[in-house]
Amino acid sequence: MSRLEAKKPSLCKSEPLTSERVRATLCVLKGILTSSYGPSGRLKQVHSGFGGCVCTTSQSSALLSNLPVTHPILKILTTSMQNHVSCFRDCGLFTAILCCNLIENVQRTGLTPTTVTKLNQHLLSLCTSYLKSESCGCRILVDFSSPQTLLCLVRSIVTSKPACMLTREERDHLSALILRAFLLTIPENTKDRLILGNSIIVPLKGQRVLDSSVLPGILIEMSEIQLMKILPIKKSEAFKVALFCASLSGDFSDTGEGTMVVTYGVSLENAVLEQLLSLGRQLVSDHVDLVVCQKVIHPSLKQFLSMHRVIAIDRVGVALMEPLSKVTATICSLLLCNRNDTAWDELKLTCQTALHVLQLTIKEPCVLLGGGCTETHLAAYIRHKTCNEPESILKDDGCTQTELQLSTEAFCSALESVAGSLEHDGGEVLTDMKYGHFWSAHAEAPSIVNWPDLLSRCGCGLYNSQEELHWSFLKSTRHPFVPQTYLPHEATGSADNLTLDCFTAKLSGLQVAVETANLILDLSYVIEDKN
Amino acid sequence: MVMACRVINKRRHMGLQQLSSFAGTGRTFLGPVKSSKFIIDEECHESVLISSTIRLLESLDLTSAVGQLLNEAVQAQNNTYKTGTSTLLFLVGAWSSAAEECLHLGVPISVIVSVMSEGLNSCIKEVVSLQVPIYNVFDHLDSTKTFSGLETFNISLCPFLQIPSDTGLQKEHDLNDVASPSLTTYSLSGIPVKSPKLFRRQTEVEADKNTLQNPQTLKNSLLASSHYRKSILIHSRHFNRTANNQWINKPDGFLEQHGAATPNTYRCNDLVELEMGLSHGDHNSMKLVDEAVRLQYQNASIQQGNCTMPFRFDISRIFTCCLPGVPETFSCVCPGFITVVSISNTTLIKELENQPVRVILIEGDLTENYRHLGFNKATNINTLLESMKIQQNSSEEVWTNYVLQVLIKFNVNLVLVQGNVSEHLIERCIHSKQLVIGSVNSTVMQAFAEASGAVQVTYITQVNENCVGNGIYVAFWRSIPSDVIDRINVITIVIKTEGINLVTVVLTSPVTAQMQTKEDRFWTCAYRLYHALREQKVFLGGGAVEFLCLSHLQILAGQSLSKRNHVCSGWLHNTSSWLASSLALYRPTVLNCLANGWHRYLSTLMYNTASCSSEFEASTFIQQHLQNARDSGSPSSYILNEYNKLNSGIFNPSISNKLEQIPSIYDIIIPKIEAWRRALDLVLLVLQTDSEIITGLGHTQLNSHETEGFLFL
Repeated sequence: MSRLEAKKPSLCKSEPLTSERVRATLCVLKGILTSSYGPSGRLKQVHSGFGGCVCTTSQSSALLSNLPVTHPILKILTTSMQNHVSCFRDCGLFTAILCCNLIENVQRTGLTPTTVTKLNQHLLSLCTSYLKSESCGCRILVDFSSPQTLLCLVRSIVTSKPACMLTREERDHLSALILRAFLLTIPENTKDRLILGNSIIVPLKGQRVLDSSVLPGILIEMSEIQLMKILPIKKSEAFKVALFCASLSGDFSDTGEGTMVVTYGVSLENAVLEQLLSLGRQLVSDHVDLVVCQKVIHPSLKQFLSMHRVIAIDRVGVALMEPLSKVTATICSLLLCNRNDTAWDELKLTCQTALHVLQLTIKEPCVLLGGGCTETHLAAYIRHKTCNEPESILKDDGCTQTELQLSTEAFCSALESVAGSLEHDGGEVLTDMKYGHFWSAHAEAPSIVNWPDLLSRCGCGLYNSQEELHWSFLKSTRHPFVPQTYLPHEATGSADNLTLDCFTAKLSGLQVAVETANLILDLSYVIEDKN
Repeated sequence: MVMACRVINKRRHMGLQQLSSFAGTGRTFLGPVKSSKFIIDEECHESVLISSTIRLLESLDLTSAVGQLLNEAVQAQNNTYKTGTSTLLFLVGAWSSAAEECLHLGVPISVIVSVMSEGLNSCIKEVVSLQVPIYNVFDHLDSTKTFSGLETFNISLCPFLQIPSDTGLQKEHDLNDVASPSLTTYSLSGIPVKSPKLFRRQTEVEADKNTLQNPQTLKNSLLASSHYRKSILIHSRHFNRTANNQWINKPDGFLEQHGAATPNTYRCNDLVELEMGLSHGDHNSMKLVDEAVRLQYQNASIQQGNCTMPFRFDISRIFTCCLPGVPETFSCVCPGFITVVSISNTTLIKELENQPVRVILIEGDLTENYRHLGFNKATNINTLLESMKIQQNSSEEVWTNYVLQVLIKFNVNLVLVQGNVSEHLIERCIHSKQLVIGSVNSTVMQAFAEASGAVQVTYITQVNENCVGNGIYVAFWRSIPSDVIDRINVITIVIKTEGINLVTVVLTSPVTAQMQTKEDRFWTCAYRLYHALREQKVFLGGGAVEFLCLSHLQILAGQSLSKRNHVCSGWLHNTSSWLASSLALYRPTVLNCLANGWHRYLSTLMYNTASCSSEFEASTFIQQHLQNARDSGSPSSYILNEYNKLNSGIFNPSISNKLEQIPSIYDIIIPKIEAWRRALDLVLLVLQTDSEIITGLGHTQLNSHETEGFLFL
């Protein structure tokens, strides 16, 4: 007897953001993200709890993909961050932290979601148009005639991943390698469109980081015994290559459902092998020199090929198939070494990020000042703008001056908090009143201090404290000021140790953060299907 | 799926504490005298005897996240270098405590990470001065001096930190441990020879402070001292400077010997001296390594003829054959492949002896059902039997017959198989005069392929005339008396061919439980020599390097840094952070904590080698030398001078005709430094970790007492 059960009614919750549980879980998530941010960020051990490998990381891509969150609001947040990371690879934590900060700050203002959403959009467009403008004071154009800027960019990315466990020397070596690998993927002569090649990361775990290197071309692993057999290679002209992605192991790929009945004395295996050998004869008569197979080649076929002086390499894996199929393009292999698995995995992600960021930078040839300076500078600019020229926003939206002020404060302090999240050791965070850059100081400084002596350089490393500057704590309220725009060219040209961020990734991060926060703030109901 | 997240270092750093406690279990494995441990499984009442870090970790429950990271680090070191794991484990413990100490003292984590990391870097640069180059050790191989000639003398286990071994032997834990090399060494020495030591305990140190300048007085005082009544300091041909040849520190940091003809006289060009130095007291194992190297060298010389390619020690062509139940003295080294076969092969071997046989090499299993890797068998194929023809033979029988036909056709009498072999086939082959041996090591297969011209195949169907190798000889291996070998109910055979580049080291032990340990120790010695020859340089060992690190760090900590010191600001990745300018404040604390790790290492080493009766005693003793090193102005010169004294001039005429030298103790360089780095990396990785994120875990899967401290998303 079957029994029908009535469907459970769906559960509908209104004003989901006001729930204590949602606030608490958002707070935990934010805690995880902010504590991981930056070069001195704390690491997380991510594991399944059932044994298996332990991933030690502070990177958003590793953290977000491993966080199976349950609440719909958190899901919106993590999904949109993951989308950003999968497109841009960089600035994932920046985006997620900014989004959390915005949600938190806006809730405190008590403004209606509609007003906030509108104003946030305006503030966002102020930011993006400033960052894209000529007058932008936190943007540097990349000079491709010298490697300095790109090297700084790569070094900043590598430095911001502490779980790679690199010493200074190793970090510099690796940054140079990454840049070289990238340059090897740029074709020498292009006609109208630039098509970048690939860099393949080859693992060499357990070795010293300084043994990492870059080679042009594709590196294929094969056994020493096999190698001895084919050496020395006498042929001088180009090799004729046959590339197989299908298995040549001689099994039957798919016999379908049901049972197959064969007569006694008929050997299917031999029949398949005979087919393989006739393929081999064809390859030999076509004068193929090298047979590469993604999967396994039957030992008898291998034997046949090697008897006819054809080199056969099998089990190269799916990752190499695409680069192998366009081996004529610019491809290089980055042999990556690190002492242990955890650190190697982190290093691999870092290299992928850096290579991707370089690709983005070649499309949009500029970089942003890093180390928190862009955030504080941008906040200063927005504060000044809404204080001095509020009309342009107010006339469109019908908001009051107070609403704009509250909203601006929420937005700007969210940006500044992201910068402040770089500090993990209880230091004091400040901003200067001329450039609007980010500075940090020892928290237990005596009450009357000589700031220029206590501080050394700003976050991005562009300015030092010996200039005539005035500082203010980031948390304190201060009068809006005009941060110096138009970055002088000589200031950036000489500095060889700047902390820089990817322009495209950060700009997108800013947009994703604001839009996701708007979406979450605007949620009125969560309807859950309980069946 | 619910994610749980736990903050792990709120008040005390759980991760670091876990590391310390894991590492604590391996402390007795540090140094040349390793006390064995019994590991008992309480559930199945099985127990194993272990005496190495790798075997220890195999037996420990390391399922926690930190435990897994530790295991990963130790395995990575072992897979890459096969040595240095005890050092790694010990330093993990010592430096986790050091990092914890820094946390207690309020040092920011980022500063601990930077200063410790750069502090170790600085140490690694500093110890370059204690490297000894190796020159042409194979040039003098033909000389009559071999490793066995030296073994009867009691060589110091740890000369840098040595005190006479008779005091050590009275220690209880050594007497209880029959495997202890110190005991073996002692019993080997017919004459009560005592090794010299660099670091003597306080009483003596006081005495020779006054006599440092004068070798004659030093000698007299040493001879007069009660501890040194029977002391012999032996002349070394490589360390034969007189005491007025002081090492001075040049301004560029390189050491140069003052007053010597050539600046670089610290060198090693004698294989036996090198092996002695790298044996770390385990002469039995190193003797076997020495013989294996010599066999390889001879073989290479014969093969090469007039061609003078430099000889390379190929560790992959050394194979070990373990014979438990056979007395220790039967351990030996032979060319070719020695293996154990079942007694049922006796008649067959007799028939095959004294004639060249033909061989085939099978890469996979030799069974009917075996298919190569990557071949997926279809499960839904049925073979239709036509009722008229009832099969006489099973398919297994058909296959076996086919194999035998192939063997007969190609006149093959020996089959070496890397995988398993069908029992039925083996039996049939015995009757038709064919010897089939399974589970053959891949390097053995490769050696036979090279020497006999055979080509390895996967299936018997692939065999053709080109795959068959010639000129193999199979014989009984009779180096062990038949009554001994009969007791363990196997027969040992040797398979070889002319010019085969393969050496078998036969390891024997009367105690089955110790077989593994013995094999591990052999490989440890073999890899030490292998790395040393590959690097062409070694460290002065016996604690010299670690002592220099300790002393160097203490001096660094003592140097005051001006606030704008650029040397120090470079130590922080993030130079613009306030931490860079606060570095000077915390740096001495962190460096001292790191140095304490070395101090613990050295005192445990001394305690383990029975040089001191307590770690406290060892510690005071090290303090004294640190003071001396500091006072001397240049710790590295101090160490080199003390090392020099160790090997110079004092001579006992009664045994002079036998004794050429007591070699120095050497350590291998890259594996050691990498072990340090790995240890510190692991500690710093755990130090920087603040939470554990467990994916795929429901509320219900956590016990109620465990849920405390977990947050769920």
